[in-house]
Amino acid sequence: MYDATESKKIAEARALDPTDQEIIAKAIDDGVETAWDRLADQQPQCGFGQLGVCCNRCAMGPCRIEPFGKKPVRGVCGANADTIVARNLLDDLATGAAAHSDHGREVVEVMLETAEGKSQGYQITDETKLAALAAEYGIKTAERKKEEIAKDLALAFMEEYGTAKGKLQMAERAPTKTKEVWKKLGIVPRGVDREIVEGMHRVHMGVDADYTNILLHAMRTSLADGWGGSMIATDCSDVLFGTPVPIKTRANLGVLSKDKVNITLHGHNPILSEMIVKAASDPDLVKRAAEKGAKGINCVGMCCTGNELLMRRGVPIAGTFLDQELAIATGALEAMVVDYQCIFPSLPQTASCYHTKVVTTSVKTKIPGAIFKEFRPDNAYDTAKEIISLAIDNYPNRNPDRVRIPAKPIDMMAGFSEETIRKALGGTYKPLIDAIVTGTIKGVVGIVGCNNPKIKQDYGHITLARALIKRNILVVETGCAAIASGKNGLLVPEAADLAGDGLKSVCKALGIPPVLHMGSCVDNSRILVLAANVANELGVGIGDLPVCGAAPEWYSQKAISIGTYFVSSGVYVVLGIPPKIFGSANVTTLLAAQLQGITNACFAVEPDPLKAADLLEAEINRKRTALKI
Amino acid sequence: MKTVFVRPELCIGCRHCEVACAVEHAENKNILSAVNEKKKSQPRIFVETGPGYKTFPNRCRHCDPAPCMQVCPTGALVRDIATGSVGIAYPRCIGCAVCAMACPFGIIRFGPVRQLDTDREVNAKCDNCLERQKDGMTPACAWACKTGALEFGDANDLVRTSRKDFTTRLVLSEGKGAEVTALPANIRAFKAIMEELAGL
Repeated sequence: MYDATESKKIAEARALDPTDQEIIAKAIDDGVETAWDRLADQQPQCGFGQLGVCCNRCAMGPCRIEPFGKKPVRGVCGANADTIVARNLLDDLATGAAAHSDHGREVVEVMLETAEGKSQGYQITDETKLAALAAEYGIKTAERKKEEIAKDLALAFMEEYGTAKGKLQMAERAPTKTKEVWKKLGIVPRGVDREIVEGMHRVHMGVDADYTNILLHAMRTSLADGWGGSMIATDCSDVLFGTPVPIKTRANLGVLSKDKVNITLHGHNPILSEMIVKAASDPDLVKRAAEKGAKGINCVGMCCTGNELLMRRGVPIAGTFLDQELAIATGALEAMVVDYQCIFPSLPQTASCYHTKVVTTSVKTKIPGAIFKEFRPDNAYDTAKEIISLAIDNYPNRNPDRVRIPAKPIDMMAGFSEETIRKALGGTYKPLIDAIVTGTIKGVVGIVGCNNPKIKQDYGHITLARALIKRNILVVETGCAAIASGKNGLLVPEAADLAGDGLKSVCKALGIPPVLHMGSCVDNSRILVLAANVANELGVGIGDLPVCGAAPEWYSQKAISIGTYFVSSGVYVVLGIPPKIFGSANVTTLLAAQLQGITNACFAVEPDPLKAADLLEAEINRKRTALKI
Repeated sequence: MKTVFVRPELCIGCRHCEVACAVEHAENKNILSAVNEKKKSQPRIFVETGPGYKTFPNRCRHCDPAPCMQVCPTGALVRDIATGSVGIAYPRCIGCAVCAMACPFGIIRFGPVRQLDTDREVNAKCDNCLERQKDGMTPACAWACKTGALEFGDANDLVRTSRKDFTTRLVLSEGKGAEVTALPANIRAFKAIMEELAGL
């Protein structure tokens, strides 16, 4: 029976943001299935899987371990719960590291093709960053054209993926003390692809059975991501598209336009989205849109490719991971253009309820029911124009009776790259360090990660961020966590009024928000670099700093890699969703306790964001005490 | 009296019981071909999720006297004397659903069954795996359950475990904090986290 109050009530339980609630209710009223419905349909979810004791690797299986102490205690091969849980975790982590790193590789490839003059529409934008990176890699810059330098740099980056070199140049950015810990543990990353491939080798039946040894390799693989693949993705994107500087834009589903052709760019890599945004101002296309009765072309971002765009171009962002179906359910979307990662395979089905076209662009991401337009560096601009034309031609198919766009987008500020933060502080971290030493700012917490329908959308991110800034803890964010804060109005300088007196005074003096948007999920590498630079200035390790991490609503394998490279680098991380490790008491104890004695950081699991804030504050105080501040 | 005893605290929602039940009631009792049969076999046991992600595998209790049998106007529900199970004579079922109205556990589902030539929907409830029991095997759901949430045996024997558990709890009880459940600490921690998460 149709009941509008009922759908409103369900929507309020599903999402924190009123604009999201409005469209969730519309989706329910329109009969459109979303991730929340699918989560309900999936109940109950298999406990063996949730506990990590299900092993589906080989054809002697699938096997599972009885979690309550009865038989079977071993799989057919003889692996026990510890081995199976650790292998599954390494597998998930390697998948996440691979996703970040392969994304990074594509940016490097575009840089190389651009340097060689083979790409279409791209250019070397940030020559300062290019020069800095060249110096790091020992590439000569004097009297050389930027393309020549970029070519050498791209080739040097490619070597980071291989085996010949046996070390990562990027990881040299870590403080000596942090690197000593890695050396002692034998987890210094040797090559981006190498650690991932070795991880796949180790999870094969009959290879690594020692859970500690498996987890150590998981840590090394994560470091090859954070201090390798992800960092390369960030830095290379900065060279191609510019290093972000503070920029204002708007967030939430209200950024969709009533009378323009709406194109949502969803996924992760800036390679595609940058070009679409560039082509959207092509006079021929603008004219074509007018001919179809539209007042222009409105490109908006979503998820991390949206973050890349808003950090550098101020392109408005429509929302987070769980907003992808909602953007379609507004009925106002002409095209959803995706590259890869975090794209619901059911998007074409969602789109089939409206006029929206789903366009896939990567050979790695094809979805039945979507239109595939292969996007390559050598045809980038032409393909971008083709995709926009397709959206324009779809504009007359929009049915105004089925459109609802939430009224009010929220203002936000982004663009806080490490370089920008350092520059704002006067070229050195001393002012930040002084503020931390005096206790004006108690410490820094990075809130990162996704949405997960298991927790009310954005509730974890926002409740935690608000609780922390009130306690004078500066919050830095990436990914969907940062978008959530944008939607919630935390990314404007005025939000400093929500902070404790100390943090408030610092924010007011610098004119910055109390929550800083540092970019996409590969841009967690910016947080690593920031922490490394602060630690280097103090002559300590990252593990000594009053810096923590949190992923209140994570879902993705990439988040496992991110969390692990933070913990491996010395940063305590609180997860809001339990990872699939509870089937092994040994693995759980190692990750949630024993690691602290090794990297001076460990994991904790706490879904309630207010309790998570207590844990984070306690950890910051522990590290402050150790630093005698 | 033999029964399939449910210990909900041990149910982890894997639904092995549902799959095993559907396979057992398929024509060719093989999971690989069962999924391709014309009248797809459906599970007769239901793993339901309650608040806090807590699960309960719900199946026919084979009551005696059975409310469903008492109300069936066509005598389609029949008692198997040897096992005490309530079975179904499919040709006699007229799909009136009165049995489902009388069932205190809500476990009756209607659907086409391979035993009939037509596609009409009949009471396709749990038959306590009569065929398996005649061959000396336990019902498929209890056989498939790895955690002991479903256990087949003499009801008095199975209840004894619960009674012992209660006795221990009573004897050891030194206030509210006493904890004697057999659940390992890591599993207790996981369950607590999921319960918390369910409220957010």
